[in-house]
Amino acid sequence: MKIITDEDLTLLYYGEHDDPALAVTVAESEELSARYDALCAELKLADAYQPPQRGDDYGAEVWQRISSQLGEEDTKSTGRLGKWFASLVQPRFSLAGALSIALVAVLAFMLGRNGGQEIINDPTVPAGVVPMAMADIDSSRLLTHSVSTHLEQVNLVLTQFVNTAETSASETEYATDMLVANRLYRQAAISQGNHKLAAFLADLEPLLIELAYQAQSGSPATRERMQQEVKDGLLFRVRVMNKQLNKPEVSV
Amino acid sequence: MSQIEQKIIRKAARGDRAAFRELVLEHSHAMFRLAWRLSGDETAAEDIVQEAFIKAWRKIGEFRMDASFKSWLHRITVNTAMDYLRKHVRRKQFEIREPEWETTDRAAQLPDTGTQIDISRQTQVAMMDLSEAERTALLLKHYEGHSINEVARIMEITTGACKQNIFRAVKKMRIALRPLVAT
Repeated sequence: MKIITDEDLTLLYYGEHDDPALAVTVAESEELSARYDALCAELKLADAYQPPQRGDDYGAEVWQRISSQLGEEDTKSTGRLGKWFASLVQPRFSLAGALSIALVAVLAFMLGRNGGQEIINDPTVPAGVVPMAMADIDSSRLLTHSVSTHLEQVNLVLTQFVNTAETSASETEYATDMLVANRLYRQAAISQGNHKLAAFLADLEPLLIELAYQAQSGSPATRERMQQEVKDGLLFRVRVMNKQLNKPEVSV
Repeated sequence: MSQIEQKIIRKAARGDRAAFRELVLEHSHAMFRLAWRLSGDETAAEDIVQEAFIKAWRKIGEFRMDASFKSWLHRITVNTAMDYLRKHVRRKQFEIREPEWETTDRAAQLPDTGTQIDISRQTQVAMMDLSEAERTALLLKHYEGHSINEVARIMEITTGACKQNIFRAVKKMRIALRPLVAT
């Protein structure tokens, strides 16, 4: 006859024993029943180990605490196809945008230097060719729109940065792109006399430089310090500035 | 897993925050209970729950629909709790305990039968005396009602190893709780 061990009785208690006849065997034996009853009584006591109650709105509280830390792009698949897809949809368009705004910056600089309207009266310009095209360029609005797009991407990358423990190659690549873009936008803002925007973009630069060049080789402590800096205010400032740029009729 | 939950998970995996919020609202209490039993500390449990949900958001694209979402969340919670406990002082809440206490000597120091609070506290002390693997296996089996196969999957160990952890945990808990059983 097979010896019934405490392990057998434990499996029986949890309904996991392979032998369906074991329950009958235990019930028919006084000794086994006593052992099984003792096991039940002792394990039943463990049910008293109950956690402190949370309120009905605990789930909402948890959501409130974590929602600001969830990056939009975090849930993308990490498989090979997913990574390829992610590389297409990640914010890679900073540089292209920066190049176009650089062109605007040059135009704005020339307009500023030549006095804008005077170009229209320049006798060397053939009638009906350049004056209309130059007049149609609202470089200020274009700059505002472009910087707003740029700040959205900065926001995405910084959110991802504060929520990941390790530096990735793509992170530094985006930071490099954004650094180049940021400098061009800053130059454009200076050219247009928008010193507040230029100063804000200048404030962003040191962090982007660190992200682009130091985060990869830096220690975990460096990364934690940078993450704290971003959390402590920079991320908030980026969002506020972007909101201000998106407000109609508000110049920054 | 219901079709509605599958639909919500798919939406969350596509980056839908509102869908993920639904999952947070649905599973927060259960995750807190597990985190608290693993850590034995209220503040730690809240931190673990938040951290686990942030990890879940990042990894939800990897979740396979043929698996149990609850088990998947529990695996994340267990791993998060283990990381948390390794980083923090694990027995802070038991500092008032006499350091010379040994499991086998406790019977002499405890009343014959205890109040519900005594039992709860003694269970907690006994639970925290288990190894991480024993405690995790027992919690997932006894309190969360997972099958042994599920517990093994959550802990990423073999079914045999899982059973051994449960057997050892049950044996130790019985020794600790036996003096409290009313005769």
